[in-house]
Amino acid sequence: MSASVALAAAGCDGPEEHGHPLHARARGTEQEAASYASVLDLEGLGRGVLVRTRGGHAVKIEGNPQHPASLGATDIFAEAAVLSLHDPERSQRIRHDGAPQMPRQLNAALAAARDALPPDGAGLRLLTGPLASPTLARLIGEVLNLYPGARWHRCDPLADDAALDGSLAAFGRPVAVLPDLARARAVLCLGADPLGPGPAQLRQARDWSVARRNGRAAGALPHLFVAEASPSLTGARADRRIPLHPAEAESFARAVAATLGVPGLASSGSHAAAAGVAEALRSAGQAGLVLAGRGQSPAVHALAHAMNHTLGAAGTALRLTAPPMARPERMTASLAALVADMVAGQVTHLLILGSNPVQEAPAALGFADALRRVGVTLHAGLWFDETAQRCHWHVPLRHPLEAWGDSRAFDGTPAIRQPVTRPLVEVAYEEASLLSALLGTPLTARAAVTATWRDVWGEESFESRWAEALETGTAGGPAPAIAPPLDPGWDRPGRPPSTGLTAIFAPDPGLREDAQNAWLQEMPRPMTGIAWGNAALFDPQTAERLALSPGDEVELILDGRRVLAACWPTPGQAPGCVTLPLGGGRAAAGAVGSERGFDANLLRPADGAWLAGGLEVRPTGRRAALVATAPPHRPDGSGAVPRLRAGEELPPITPQASLHPSWPQPGRAWAMVIDVDACIGCNACAVACQAENNVPVVGPAELARGRGMHWLRIDRHDHPQAPAASFQPVPCMHCEKAPCEPVCPVNATVHDNEGLNVMVHARCIGTRTCSNNCPYKVRRFNWNDHRPSLDTARRNVEVPLRPRGVMEKCTYCSHRISAARSAAAVEGRALRDGEIETACQRACPTQAITFGDLNADDSAVAAQRRDGRSYALLEHLGTRPRTTYLAPVVPGDTT
Amino acid sequence: MSAPSPYGAIAEFGDADRMVAAIRHARAAGWSRMEAHAPHPVPEAAVALGAHAAPVGWIALASGLAGAAIAFGTQWYLSVHDYPLNVGGRPPQAWPVFLPAAYIVGVLWAAAAALLGMLWLNGLPRLHHPVFFARSIHRASQDRYFLHLLAEDPLFEPQAALVFLHSLSPLRASLVRAA
Amino acid sequence: MSTSTAPVVAAALRPGGWGFGVGILLSLAGVAVLGAAIAALLVLGVGVWGNNIPFVWGFDLIAYAWWIGIANAASLFAAVLVLRRHNLRTAVNRFAEAVALAAVLAAALYPILHLGRPWLFYWTIPYPATTGLWPQFGSPLVWDFWGIMAHVVVTSLFWFIGLIPDLATLRDRAATQGRRRLARAYGLAALGWRGSVVHWHRHQAAYRLVAALVLPLLLSAQTVVALEFAATLVPAWHEARLPVHLVVTGLPAGLGVVLAMAAVLRRALSLERIIDAVDMDLLARLLACAALASGAAYVHELVNGLLIADGAPREAFLARISGAGALSYWGAVVLGALLPQVLWRRDLRMKDWVVIPVGMLAAAGVWLDRWSLLVGGLLRDHLPVHAVPYVPTPAEWALLGGSAALFALVLLLFGRVIPVVAMFEIRHEETEAQALEEQR
Repeated sequence: MSASVALAAAGCDGPEEHGHPLHARARGTEQEAASYASVLDLEGLGRGVLVRTRGGHAVKIEGNPQHPASLGATDIFAEAAVLSLHDPERSQRIRHDGAPQMPRQLNAALAAARDALPPDGAGLRLLTGPLASPTLARLIGEVLNLYPGARWHRCDPLADDAALDGSLAAFGRPVAVLPDLARARAVLCLGADPLGPGPAQLRQARDWSVARRNGRAAGALPHLFVAEASPSLTGARADRRIPLHPAEAESFARAVAATLGVPGLASSGSHAAAAGVAEALRSAGQAGLVLAGRGQSPAVHALAHAMNHTLGAAGTALRLTAPPMARPERMTASLAALVADMVAGQVTHLLILGSNPVQEAPAALGFADALRRVGVTLHAGLWFDETAQRCHWHVPLRHPLEAWGDSRAFDGTPAIRQPVTRPLVEVAYEEASLLSALLGTPLTARAAVTATWRDVWGEESFESRWAEALETGTAGGPAPAIAPPLDPGWDRPGRPPSTGLTAIFAPDPGLREDAQNAWLQEMPRPMTGIAWGNAALFDPQTAERLALSPGDEVELILDGRRVLAACWPTPGQAPGCVTLPLGGGRAAAGAVGSERGFDANLLRPADGAWLAGGLEVRPTGRRAALVATAPPHRPDGSGAVPRLRAGEELPPITPQASLHPSWPQPGRAWAMVIDVDACIGCNACAVACQAENNVPVVGPAELARGRGMHWLRIDRHDHPQAPAASFQPVPCMHCEKAPCEPVCPVNATVHDNEGLNVMVHARCIGTRTCSNNCPYKVRRFNWNDHRPSLDTARRNVEVPLRPRGVMEKCTYCSHRISAARSAAAVEGRALRDGEIETACQRACPTQAITFGDLNADDSAVAAQRRDGRSYALLEHLGTRPRTTYLAPVVPGDTT
Repeated sequence: MSAPSPYGAIAEFGDADRMVAAIRHARAAGWSRMEAHAPHPVPEAAVALGAHAAPVGWIALASGLAGAAIAFGTQWYLSVHDYPLNVGGRPPQAWPVFLPAAYIVGVLWAAAAALLGMLWLNGLPRLHHPVFFARSIHRASQDRYFLHLLAEDPLFEPQAALVFLHSLSPLRASLVRAA
Repeated sequence: MSTSTAPVVAAALRPGGWGFGVGILLSLAGVAVLGAAIAALLVLGVGVWGNNIPFVWGFDLIAYAWWIGIANAASLFAAVLVLRRHNLRTAVNRFAEAVALAAVLAAALYPILHLGRPWLFYWTIPYPATTGLWPQFGSPLVWDFWGIMAHVVVTSLFWFIGLIPDLATLRDRAATQGRRRLARAYGLAALGWRGSVVHWHRHQAAYRLVAALVLPLLLSAQTVVALEFAATLVPAWHEARLPVHLVVTGLPAGLGVVLAMAAVLRRALSLERIIDAVDMDLLARLLACAALASGAAYVHELVNGLLIADGAPREAFLARISGAGALSYWGAVVLGALLPQVLWRRDLRMKDWVVIPVGMLAAAGVWLDRWSLLVGGLLRDHLPVHAVPYVPTPAEWALLGGSAALFALVLLLFGRVIPVVAMFEIRHEETEAQALEEQR
């Protein structure tokens, strides 16, 4: 009975519980935009965000500058969260065996189930995803106290158990390695991808760019070495990228460690590149850093710890802390134990909280079959997904933007998650209130969270610290550094390398659990250009040997398990290995997420291994349905991106002589500078632009026809010399001599008095000739009417929706310019430099984008224009772009 | 019923040369108001009748120039004065871009004026003309040639005109009633 | 009545034969397809086509440039015949004018239909809108708008002025046959023409004047179309030679269509005596000549693109003539420039089964040239932007076929209700020929 009361209470977090507005407008009304600080989790770890709401609706996510895992920037997942929040396919109903139920029916069923539990709770199991939330951890702890026979398991398909084993070997305890890339002078990544997607990406990318900025100023750039099997964002920007088959990784690491003189090394290895890398690390000394990543063996992780220990990196290039995750354990073992118990019939009640194990666990583990042996199963989640369909009960969860909660960042910094909008699904529950219901204590999630922090902060300072935490978005500092001694017996050589073609399982760089998110699905993955699906990444030689072209279908066979996948030859892929991105091929991810690509989990070994030898590949002779926005290899044949050696300068951008006198440009002249040296190709700017400007999603069929609508595209240019790729974001250039304008017959695209190339949608008749004459091809045409899909509560009302048949393009976020202009006018002051941030600029983790007034000599954008690295795209065409670039600097001597 | 005064007297010829000769004879005889009808252009007859085509050209030329000037002026006024815009950094008074449309409009006006001017000079279109009362005049559009002495000529007297026409040995000669 | 013009009049006045009926039915069916394609376009939008970025134009502008080319060559041919007057057999000039007019009508569909919002096409006209905005007079598309309007009007005038006396003939023939209602209809259209020698004199002056005015206009029409491409920064298009290239390579299309249509119609309407062997011979040799000029244009293009051009334009041209673009480019060269050379052989050019396919294939070759320019020209741009190939959809094929059906329907109706060749010209020539014989 108490459970039913609790659930009834948990269901009514009213709108009065909305959080504190942080950044209200000067003229604030209910309808005006306001921002709330909150936190969003990725892989269980939080990134601070500011959520802009309008009329009570969350419309845009931006980074929280005061949060250490954001520093004001966002990643694609944070940007896209606001779309998932408004997903009409989110679960709307409580269901029993698929049939909609009323809350009281659920309450009755749960009360009965609870009564059926033995007093010690034996047979009750909790299954969650990875979590670092202090409140959820506390509540789960209380559940386990109340029911000593109950167990807590976790399903984390992206967990790196080898890292845990490595730290146990090296230090005898779990540790988290927090690299400080701002201070590191030489970094070796052993399969690690610090610039790639992940909970620490924003911070690490910022630090890396700061180190490069300082290095350029000092004339000594830091070194970045990447030894990896599959091309990553970090590898793309590395000074030296060493394609390394996973089987060679340990040998390579040993060779480097041996050269560094790491004590306690059980055996040495050899690799041609090791000596140079080791030398750079040794010169860097304490500022040297070795990072081991997902897919490496425990021995390699231990080797990395030992090398860092030998270099004395702790305190300079890295910090060791206790892991931020609640109760670190081997995640694959945790899930395997649950499945074993389920098969053995020891599980009577299973509560699955915000996790989708049927989909995310390796199919070979047999979770779905084992689930049938459990008496009562309840799944709580955002979507009626694969697991929900196989559970007796399904309860819709609130989206993190609707629910109270808390979280920890990768560095341990806690933060309070406050709801920023009324729940869009009336019956949806919060995780904390579900757990408190299990405890029999009727608590709202807010009460549960405040209880946690009341304990932490003490009663007297709670109110002020709570208010401060909601306002700043952080609830304390990072975890303290620890300095565990290196275990003398740290080196436990790994198993012998597997033979044959090796399957490498990897997170999809553009997808996590949000397969339902159309923004993420449609965003081309940076290293492959694939959208709306995935492909098995082959090295070009293997693809050639098997006579496979990009997009050919292959059957992949691993230990008798089979799956059909598209083949994508990927330059830079280490020979002899095939990378299989996880998260595709969903069966129940709605219209957006289902049947996109193949499901690598069907192949993954039951133990959740990241590597598996003996992969067989059989071409089927068919073509796979693959949406690729670019070919695998994109050489910069046209020299679109000049590359400089350190200290080199480009000739200044000088306007070409023109037939006509220049149009006078008194007053402001808006301009943008994009630092290609800082760009890591993470796509955050493109998704931010999509969110800010109501850019439609066109779907796979239209995208495959070349009708994508992204206002900002990121061109990758591959180079034979390091860095292997340059990412060049291409928004509208806002040319002073805009070639698009003179060809328009109806004055639908003209210049305004501040030099913006304005697109007047209402005037456009759709001749499309402007796109013909745009050498940058940044204009997008509404081939279809996208307004119905955009005209939702999520749309940014400050940007109009465009009808069918008109052109559109980047506006430099002109609505933000107008908003800032009126704000300044109201306050009776001049616009400040940097006051206007475009959406892409705001999102950028490396601050590669600068925007401002070119006519103001002291503005940041004018200063960057004067930089010796400044270049304009296709300058010889005489278009005089207002968007210019800063050239990347290539490494000097690391060959 | 008294016979109404005729519109003129008409003679029909089987070929153009006879008609041309007839026109020359009539002119020599002092006739000044006459028309000739033929199924195709007969330049000699036109010369004999003292026709001039040059006005068609002058009308077309003047209209063409006016059209071009108006087109140019309109574009210039609208772009430079009425609603100047910064289009691609070009100054609004970048006049060469106004030339193609001015040229095209000029040609258009000239062509239209050539047709309309020709019709105007010819007094066309008109729904009816007394010459259509003439017998077998419909063959003027096929294979017969006609000389038509008009009643407004000071020399005109119906019987005398018929006598004169018969002296030109036509296939047929007759009076044309006025209504 | 003159025996020579009788078949012409008969063709216009007699009830249609079964061949004519089948032709009308087929072209009406095609026009119905056109209507369906236009309806689909208006309801669903240009998204039903295969265009994308960067291939924002495809069948629409290809067909436009192609029909303009046909219209231009036919107009040019007719105008030259009128201007040179009696030195050549001019029987076919009316027919060429009709071809030009039908082609211009087919072409005029596209500038409106290709718009994203076709119902707003009138925004290219300077009219006092509530927004106070005017068209952007510097845009080649505005020039093109004026150009196509002027083209339609002047081509119609040219055709109509020449037609007035023939309409009078039809009026009189119909009246003689006692078909008063028909006579009245022709009479209204004939504007009261009474064959006055003085009127003839002015009529001839106006006719020749408009013929002369057609020449600069059709040059400007094709040039303006070319400027829509040449004025852009697209490396394959930004060529000063493009206007001349389009004018010259467009000629085989128009002459080919006139030749093929003449061959078909003289058979179908039994006009062998009117459009006689000398006419066909002349037309065939003109086509071969135009193809030769077209070949010269290709040689110049190849020399320019391979030897003179540098950088992006050269790479863009290489992309056009090799790889994915090769088929259309070399297809254009073979069909538009090389194949018509067989017509230099007199025995071949006098055979219908040769001239009909050669004429139509020459037109197809010019179509391929436009495809090569519009689609092939975008294969290589300044930036290596990944371009999804342009694949035309059934909606576009329907529009192309439908516009061809419209063209055929207009021609068939011309042949049915109005004289297919200029009767007065024939009569005029005959009298001159008689005079020559008498002199001997």
